[in-house]
Amino acid sequence: MEDPSSRTAHDGPPGQVARGGSKSGGPAAHGGPPGQAARGGSNSGGPAAHGGPPGQAARGGSDSETDVTREIKTHFRVCRFIMESGVKLGMRSVPVATACELYHRFFECVSLRVYEPYLVAMSCVYLAGKVEEQHLRTRDIINVSHRYFHNASAPLECDREFWELRDSVVQCELLILRQLDFHVSFRHPHKYLLHYLMSVKALVNRHAWTRTPVAETAWALLRDCYHGVMCIHHAPQHIAIATLYLALNSYGVEMPVGEREWWQVLCEDVTKEDINAVISDLLQLYDMEAKCV
Amino acid sequence: MDRDLLRQCLTHHGESLFNTLQCEQTENPDFQAVASDLAKATYERRGAGEGCSLVEQFIARKADILFCPTWRTAVPREDELEDEEATEPYAIMPPAELFMEVPFEERRAMLYRDLERGDAVVGRINNIREYGFFLTLLCAAGGLRRDIEDLELSALCHIKEIPSTGSHDDPLSYYQIGDLIRGGVKDLDRYQEKITVSLLPASLCPRLAHIKLGVVAREELPKHYSRGLRVANDTRETYERILRGCHGYHNPSVVEYLLGRAGVSDDRPPSLMRGLQSKHFHEEDFATVIRKKQSASWALKCVRSGVDHFKHGRHVEAMNEYNKALEIDTNNVEALVARGALYANKGGMMKAISDFELGLETCPDHRNAKKYLCQTLVERGKQLQEQEKFVTAEGLYRRALSLDDSYPEAQAALRRITDTIQKSIRLREEATAKETEKAKSGKTSAQKLRKILKDEKRMKKKRKRSSSSSSSSSSSSERPSLSPTSTTSSRRRSKKRRRKRGGSERGSQRRRRRSSKRSEEEEEEEEYPAPPNTSASFLYRQGFLGSGAGRGEGGEEGGEEEEEVVVDDRRISQLYSLSAASEDEGSEPRGGDGEGRRGRSFSSHGKGGRRRSRRGSSSESSAAREQGKARRRSGEGRRRSRGRSREEGRSSEEGRGRSREEGRRRSRGRSSEEGRSRGRSREEGRRRSRGRSSEEGRSSEEGRSSEEGRGRSREEGRRRSRGRSREEGRSSEEGRGRSREEGRSRGRSREDGRRRSTDEGRRRRKASPSSVESQRSRKSTVAAERPPACRRSSSGSLGQPAPPLAPPRRTSLDGGRLGHSQGHIPYIP
Repeated sequence: MEDPSSRTAHDGPPGQVARGGSKSGGPAAHGGPPGQAARGGSNSGGPAAHGGPPGQAARGGSDSETDVTREIKTHFRVCRFIMESGVKLGMRSVPVATACELYHRFFECVSLRVYEPYLVAMSCVYLAGKVEEQHLRTRDIINVSHRYFHNASAPLECDREFWELRDSVVQCELLILRQLDFHVSFRHPHKYLLHYLMSVKALVNRHAWTRTPVAETAWALLRDCYHGVMCIHHAPQHIAIATLYLALNSYGVEMPVGEREWWQVLCEDVTKEDINAVISDLLQLYDMEAKCV
Repeated sequence: MDRDLLRQCLTHHGESLFNTLQCEQTENPDFQAVASDLAKATYERRGAGEGCSLVEQFIARKADILFCPTWRTAVPREDELEDEEATEPYAIMPPAELFMEVPFEERRAMLYRDLERGDAVVGRINNIREYGFFLTLLCAAGGLRRDIEDLELSALCHIKEIPSTGSHDDPLSYYQIGDLIRGGVKDLDRYQEKITVSLLPASLCPRLAHIKLGVVAREELPKHYSRGLRVANDTRETYERILRGCHGYHNPSVVEYLLGRAGVSDDRPPSLMRGLQSKHFHEEDFATVIRKKQSASWALKCVRSGVDHFKHGRHVEAMNEYNKALEIDTNNVEALVARGALYANKGGMMKAISDFELGLETCPDHRNAKKYLCQTLVERGKQLQEQEKFVTAEGLYRRALSLDDSYPEAQAALRRITDTIQKSIRLREEATAKETEKAKSGKTSAQKLRKILKDEKRMKKKRKRSSSSSSSSSSSSERPSLSPTSTTSSRRRSKKRRRKRGGSERGSQRRRRRSSKRSEEEEEEEEYPAPPNTSASFLYRQGFLGSGAGRGEGGEEGGEEEEEVVVDDRRISQLYSLSAASEDEGSEPRGGDGEGRRGRSFSSHGKGGRRRSRRGSSSESSAAREQGKARRRSGEGRRRSRGRSREEGRSSEEGRGRSREEGRRRSRGRSSEEGRSRGRSREEGRRRSRGRSSEEGRSSEEGRSSEEGRGRSREEGRRRSRGRSREEGRSSEEGRGRSREEGRSRGRSREDGRRRSTDEGRRRRKASPSSVESQRSRKSTVAAERPPACRRSSSGSLGQPAPPLAPPRRTSLDGGRLGHSQGHIPYIP
């Protein structure tokens, strides 16, 4: 809709949310001092106060690492942050997935150096709550994030800092909206996966099915795949089938064999290569966890 | 680790997975425990391919999660909801093997493997024999969702399995070839491949029990079957197309619904990431917990700045801060205590007490709350004592001692008040005795009659005025109601009363009965034909009139302040009703005697204030009393006068003042005493009390209610007098069980004390040959006890704000343990 405005968001970072241009070149784009994103630069406990373990890990990375892998790691950490916050905020899986997808899509067209990723993540959580009709309060989001960055710290006082954080989150939400041209609702694999599960379950002996935690595993895999950008690079049906495939495979569940495989039936255009691609992306994420945290 | 699952997995993946597992899970004792067991089996590798090694590595790495018994959260239940077919909360898809084109043999084998006894199937009748009919199975209707139409499955339904309809000898005559039948699988022979079905509902397994068996129409066939037919007829139909076309697919909450069916928790979602295991989430990191903590700390900040304001004497600002704190965090103990302290310093003892009590409710061990509450209770008790509300005061002291039984002030105060109560009882007795004597030497009946008539006229006027005041007061009583029931009941009662006013005596009686349903005893009293000229009736009336006269003096000033006092009293009684009730448990009624005693004790302590006013007016009252007597004597129906006086009493009270009510109440109390004495010298006593009570505005029963309904006396009266006197009346007979129920008889504990103290006096009285005499004399002494000026001043002080707490306490109150810090007022986003 408002193309010009979104363009401005692109070129010149609007509002206080964006980092100053002078900073953009620095390697501390995501490990930088906290509070960069917070308006007014109040120095402690900004939403971006990821001076904690994640930030340190980033700084500790060797120089030989390419920018790409560093960015992937950062995204992984931020998504981890989104998921943890989601659990603590009592978010359902779909809003969390939306938050992650918003985040990934936002940084797909914007450099990580320009915007503070954790602030964007907070705003994504807030926006996702609205999109998926599970409204969250900014106060809770700020509280949970603050505690995430300052482990076991006392909750924030109701002072200028708090209000600046809140302003930042709300401003950043507008920024995301404009950046994404207000395309903020996505088709997620969740619905597909659950229907596929019902169909596959009917193919398997019911006792064997209850004995095997396929549903839990597939759901966990699906949630975990939002740690990476795979959610925007693969079709939702493919992701659903791949997670289900991996779950069934993990437990060695035997499926009846006909002219066509069960996954071919569920989605017409999926190929074995697609499934393998999704699975290998997914498995990389699990490897990433060991490297990032 | 789940050994069976592991074995199943190893069977699928083969030897290489086992080796990887041994590498990855070397440190896992769980795996080592099962490893040797698993190693014995040999796994032939199948389905090998590239990419497999990655998957195997993943399985091996996550094996501790994947094969952990707690990983499986789904409960083994799959109840198919009755309305699932109709409402379709999710997309009900045709069986997948229909699209997969699984070979005939395999499908047939799968069906015989998976079909179970208790499942529902649908088939078409293809053959009817004398021993039953044969079905060709079309589809599974519950339990399984398989494509079985072309599997040429035949099932027998034996004639025994067809429910007979009674009139027909041959149940088979109902069925024809081609009928669609839904039946339950009764038996399944997997080797012979024979299926028998039944039409008896008992053949279905319990979770399918809602399915109806018998003939079905085509439209009733399961959705997955009818959708499957569409697929079979149209080769272009794909799984995805059907899925999108389904109504249930577009259900906005389909994800939640199916998650629930799958048994996956979305609150504690599963994850295979190490860092997202639910054991890493601590309760105190969750948003709700943080928010709670934060609210408390924000509220505390407000309290601090409030205390700061308070210290500098800015009480309004302090109150605003406290209220803000309570808005942020309801039931914040610190805020409640601080606000209570502020109230106490401003003289709002009752508000203070309720704040402290609320604070103690949420935090029973809060030291300051306890301490302040004790102090405030004693302070308020002293105020009440000054107003001669001994019973209430006593209750407060007791409550204070229940909080801190070594609190010296409360102990001392309680001792003092017990003494005072005893003394006052004695005085009363003497006064009554004197009054009776005085009454004997009365004026002539004509004079009395004249006076009474005059009085009546005046009362009527006042009554008109009073109706408005009564309504206002009733509404005011609702204001700070802590217990809704008591308020509404009082309102109801007062309404009734208003309605009844001016009605016939009969109506009033009915109403009375209704209102005092609980006290059979009282009703009985009412039934006695009270002789007009007995000394008892005379005495009673005397009391009433006296109070009526007294009203003139102290009445008008009372006003709103009084209401507040009443409200306070009610609150007190509400606050302490329970503790009092428990105390009363021990003392059982001792027949009419005990009852009487109790009633008396009431009147003596409880009505201190009233007594006072009464005392002031006693001289007038005696005159009025005599008039009343005369009137009665002169032949006016007892009844009439009674009714009238009742009304008058009512109206005058409202209109005029509490002093009168008090008088009445007092007299009421007296009447109960008399009732007791009645027990003793039955005829006389009864007659007397009856007469009295009737004239007095019947005060005890209805009078009570009316007063309550109206004035401030309303509450007090209600609670105290009603609860009490009624209970007593009642209790003797009913074992006072109900009084306990009513709970409001906080009065009880008081009564106990009272009773105790009164016992003496009563006994004394009993011993004396002419109890009437003694009563009379008692009354007169009471009246004479204090000069009118003194009386008035004391009654005036009733409504005045209570004196502030003593200075040392004040410092302790605001000092508290709250530091001071100025901060701006937070606002909750």
